[in-house]
Amino acid sequence: MNTILRIFILDLKRRMKSPLAIVLTMCIPLVMTLIIGSVFGRDGDVKLPRIKMLFVDYDEGLAAQFLRRGLELGQLAEMVEVIPVVEEEGERLMAEGEASAMVVIPDSFTTKIVDGVPVTIRVVKNPSESFLPIIVEEIISTFGVILDCGTNTFREPIRKSKEILTDEGWPSLNELQTLMDEAKAIFALAGGYMVDTLLTVEESTVSEAGDEGNGKSSGFNVFSYVMAGSMLIGLLFTSNIMLRDIVRERASGTLTRTLAAPLSIWHVVAGKLLAAYMVTMVASIALLIIGRFVFGMDLGGPVVLAVHLSATIFMITGLMTFCFGLIKSERAAEAIVSVLIIVISLLGGGMIPISQMGEAFRVIARFSPVYWASDGFMKIFLNQAGLIDIVQNIVILTGIGLVTLLPGTWLLGRNLRKGGSK
Amino acid sequence: MIEVSEIRKQFGEVRAVDGLSFKVAEGEIFGLLGPNGAGKTTTISMLSGLLAPDSGTITVAGMDASRGDRRVRALMGVIPQEIALYEELSGRENLHFWGGLYGLTGAALKRETDRVLDMVDLTDRADDQVGKYSGGMKRRINLCAGLIHSPKIILLDEPTLGIDPQARIKILDIVKKEAESGTTIIYTTHYLEEAEELCDRIAIIDKGAIHAEGSLAELVDLVGEEDMITVTGDFKSWKGDNLPEGVRLDHMEEGSLRFYISRKDSLGSLLNSFFGAGISVESVSIREPGLQGVFLKLTGRELRD
Repeated sequence: MNTILRIFILDLKRRMKSPLAIVLTMCIPLVMTLIIGSVFGRDGDVKLPRIKMLFVDYDEGLAAQFLRRGLELGQLAEMVEVIPVVEEEGERLMAEGEASAMVVIPDSFTTKIVDGVPVTIRVVKNPSESFLPIIVEEIISTFGVILDCGTNTFREPIRKSKEILTDEGWPSLNELQTLMDEAKAIFALAGGYMVDTLLTVEESTVSEAGDEGNGKSSGFNVFSYVMAGSMLIGLLFTSNIMLRDIVRERASGTLTRTLAAPLSIWHVVAGKLLAAYMVTMVASIALLIIGRFVFGMDLGGPVVLAVHLSATIFMITGLMTFCFGLIKSERAAEAIVSVLIIVISLLGGGMIPISQMGEAFRVIARFSPVYWASDGFMKIFLNQAGLIDIVQNIVILTGIGLVTLLPGTWLLGRNLRKGGSK
Repeated sequence: MIEVSEIRKQFGEVRAVDGLSFKVAEGEIFGLLGPNGAGKTTTISMLSGLLAPDSGTITVAGMDASRGDRRVRALMGVIPQEIALYEELSGRENLHFWGGLYGLTGAALKRETDRVLDMVDLTDRADDQVGKYSGGMKRRINLCAGLIHSPKIILLDEPTLGIDPQARIKILDIVKKEAESGTTIIYTTHYLEEAEELCDRIAIIDKGAIHAEGSLAELVDLVGEEDMITVTGDFKSWKGDNLPEGVRLDHMEEGSLRFYISRKDSLGSLLNSFFGAGISVESVSIREPGLQGVFLKLTGRELRD
């Protein structure tokens, strides 16, 4: 035990004296989180620029006015800036890339709507922009549907009112009374659908099992969302650095000298693995502290976090031990382990959150150990999950740790025995 | 103290050690002299328990050392060929670690660390990082790491490789002092002068086998009293007959002839025979009997080859 402790302390001391590699490795998740988080903003909302929409009105009738005023009301006004122009000026502005789209309302637009004659609104899109012109097209299409429904529903009262208004002289009270009654009847009929709607949409934040358990809910923090996966890359590389040291020591001769001392090979393996576990744990705690105080992450309950972190680092240590049990040279470690870390991180949501992946990748992700770790962290950080909520993650991570650590330790011991003489 | 009997070790197709046997008495300095690749390091690895021999036995202080018995390893101090130190740690921290592995703790560890640091004149630099040491200083700390626990047996594998003469003298001095205090030493080298200066007995090893073993005097006796003469020149017209009495041709190649002469006056007769035959002689070198001659005679090649 004393010998294991000596080897463990030696590795910690060496790492403290030469911490650059670990510090740089820890920068990977921090930089990733910072960049991705900054792009989407702390709340994860994408702030789009205000859309400049040129509005060419050849009609100047009621329907065209309805459309334009509609675009200038409420939230739409925050999103869209309507700029009335004549078509020539509009074309020039579009050519200069000064607007996202130009909407052209044709002549007799209102009349044709009222008469039920098909009519087309032209939307000219700016080819240099991808999303904003599509949004304009969707808005105009939506207004088209509203106008269509309105004119179809009130077709008869509109027709009659048009006759009344085009007749010479003032309409009689009786004619107006009849018109109002018909319109009222249609409103009453449609009212059941238009006012007291059958379907109600209520805005709420989607939450998983964690909320049901403790009734707590936290605000969405995009840094937590990214860090849950990206920190796994940093931890995998940290463990890689620690265990790669065995390969380096074999080459430098210090391992040979250690093995010439009166100790068992398992003392060396145990000391090295403990040091790798401890350094990875310290690195993860440092990352979480930075996440808490720099990125404002909510780290969830301390017990569930500690248990999940332990299981995650156990899995990482096991996986790396297995890799270095098979690998004999630093060059092989460079080529194989680094690639493996990147692949399992990419597949398991270490680089891109799983929810942003396609369905097929979501299925494949479950075969990556990183998935179970990042999924657990995401549940803890975003949903304040409790132990019961992530028990599956913990069991799977511990299982992967055991399945890789046991044969990995044996392979590593065998490797060291061979490495005793170069 | 150490008895090695018929040990063999093969790596794939390469037979690194091929039936090596020797005995080393307590307090003796035993040299393994041979060129690179002769099997010296593999032999040291088997003696220190890092490698198990394919066959044969190694007995150390009456214990079987073939399988890396920990009790045997506790008796030994191994000084490897390479600088096996942690460069990010100081010399003192390195020594604390290696001493600790051999069971030294507390005041004893501190005392022994100070002793070996003083022995190699590195007390002043003990707290500097090893990475900042010169090559010679690293070699000296490398030596200390194998001596800190005062082992009964020291295995030194080319400890003076690539260092300056001053550091070499220091190391050889320490080895001599250790031997004087009764420590048994196995010393591998390919430097003849080191083997001649240090070793009580020397084994000449090449291609995994011992070709001869004994004290320096005994080995020199093997080549007799003959001096080795190497003559260079243009020998195209030389027939090689009518050699003077006491002269024996050993080796002939283009532009160079090697003779052994048992009588000093034969050299004049030999050179006269060349001049008489109109042969132009460029140089003549004479080597008196020594380890180089022994090695050459036994293996057919120079030690540096």
